[in-house]
Amino acid sequence: MKKTVDVSIPLGPIHPCFKEPARVKCETKGEFVTGAEVELGYMKKGIERIMKGRPWQEVMFLAERVCGICSVIHNMVFIEALEKMSGIEVPERAALLRVVVNELDRMQSHTLANFSYCYTIEHETLGMYLLDMREKVMDLLELITGARVTCAYIVPGGVRFDLREEDRESLLASLDAIETDVRRYMGMFEGGSLIGLRSRDIGILSKEAALEAHAVGPTARASGMPEIDRRLQHPTYQKLQFTPVSRDGCDNFSRIMIRFDELLQSIELIRRCSALLPEGPVRGGGIPGAGEIVYCGEAPRGELTYFIKTDDAGRILDISIQTPSIMNIEACCHYMLKDAASIADVPSTFVSADPCIACTER
Amino acid sequence: MTLLQSIKNYVRSKSIHVSYVDVGSCNGCDIEVLACLAPRYDIEQYGIYVHNNPREADILLVIGAYTPGWEEKLEMVWNKIPEPKVAIAIGNCPISGCLFNRPHTYIDPPVSKHIPIAASVPGCPPRPTEILNAVLSLAPVVFKDYEVKKR
Repeated sequence: MKKTVDVSIPLGPIHPCFKEPARVKCETKGEFVTGAEVELGYMKKGIERIMKGRPWQEVMFLAERVCGICSVIHNMVFIEALEKMSGIEVPERAALLRVVVNELDRMQSHTLANFSYCYTIEHETLGMYLLDMREKVMDLLELITGARVTCAYIVPGGVRFDLREEDRESLLASLDAIETDVRRYMGMFEGGSLIGLRSRDIGILSKEAALEAHAVGPTARASGMPEIDRRLQHPTYQKLQFTPVSRDGCDNFSRIMIRFDELLQSIELIRRCSALLPEGPVRGGGIPGAGEIVYCGEAPRGELTYFIKTDDAGRILDISIQTPSIMNIEACCHYMLKDAASIADVPSTFVSADPCIACTER
Repeated sequence: MTLLQSIKNYVRSKSIHVSYVDVGSCNGCDIEVLACLAPRYDIEQYGIYVHNNPREADILLVIGAYTPGWEEKLEMVWNKIPEPKVAIAIGNCPISGCLFNRPHTYIDPPVSKHIPIAASVPGCPPRPTEILNAVLSLAPVVFKDYEVKKR
């Protein structure tokens, strides 16, 4: 059958709403979007090609720079894969500190995603509130690790610095303030009638479609799939009795609300870690050796997988990374954007899936 | 100095439009540019307005190490910006390629090979205050008495 397309509207690569270059080509019939396609390839740096043949001490920093927003989880998954492969034990205190830093990173990433969404639907006030809250989280990250973005905090056999007692107290005090803020902004987002008009029942990704597109992370959890969370398989999270959250809304509104839910959950997890934090060393030492492993972790955007093969000296012979965003972009273009009522909903729906182009293309 | 020139100088000092383009970074510098928007740094108090439209921009922030996907496209973006214009490189990537500039990479740094770069802010990533400082210190140098200097 011949397809009737009125106009093919390209959005991007430079677009006021997109933080990174990606091109979304929408096939429209009047204002009605019949289908969308995404064109990637503006950010391909070939990180995996650079990584091959290099010692793990260098690859560690390259792995961190796969994505600047969720750098801690890339560091964590790469180092934990090496540790599991070579049988390196991690001290209890270091394992809990890793979770603290990882959850802080998740908080800043989710806040940034929600800021982008609010900015895209032109609710700039709430966006600025969220961005201000993100700075508080970044301060905590800097307090613990010493850097704002690329901190290289996690090393084989432990973490780089210990958390001092006075820092722990200020961490908990700041978390109380952040929790009050999150609850206030959640109420604003939930109660805003205009926000509801722009977000509810827009960009529907049903559970069947999410399964079919292999959606991961908050995008899948907003379609009622809590079991998708890889943190359930992580030993430290199991010790903390972690239970994932989910929502059944399947629309843009649920995808933003689930990130707010996860912010509160992260705050709770950090509090639990802080209560359990035992005395002891934070660096056990250990040198990665030869082996081959596939290791998964839960990035802020979903499941992150590393396949690593090393030789005796710890040089990376082969590596491949699967990042979560590619599945979410696929789900976004082929299921959410299909049958969108207006072209104005396209950027907000695309941003609500929280695509990270730098991760996707590497 | 003519009256018209002094009016132009005054207006330009209070309204600087910034556009940013990511030509293959890790995203770290992108979010540090975005963090400048936050009320803590409040880039708009200096009359700087960040939006992503090259046709209205005065300053282009170039982030990233110039990937093959941007060949000719970055020059197109640069040509769309009206005069007077200036480009600032943010982060180590546009200067040297940072740690992506290794054998077997796809990138082609520095960005100054492709478009004229007036200033660089090194760092991986630089702090928002440093980005703000670079924009604020460069803007008067370039935009003040632009027509006089051009002659």
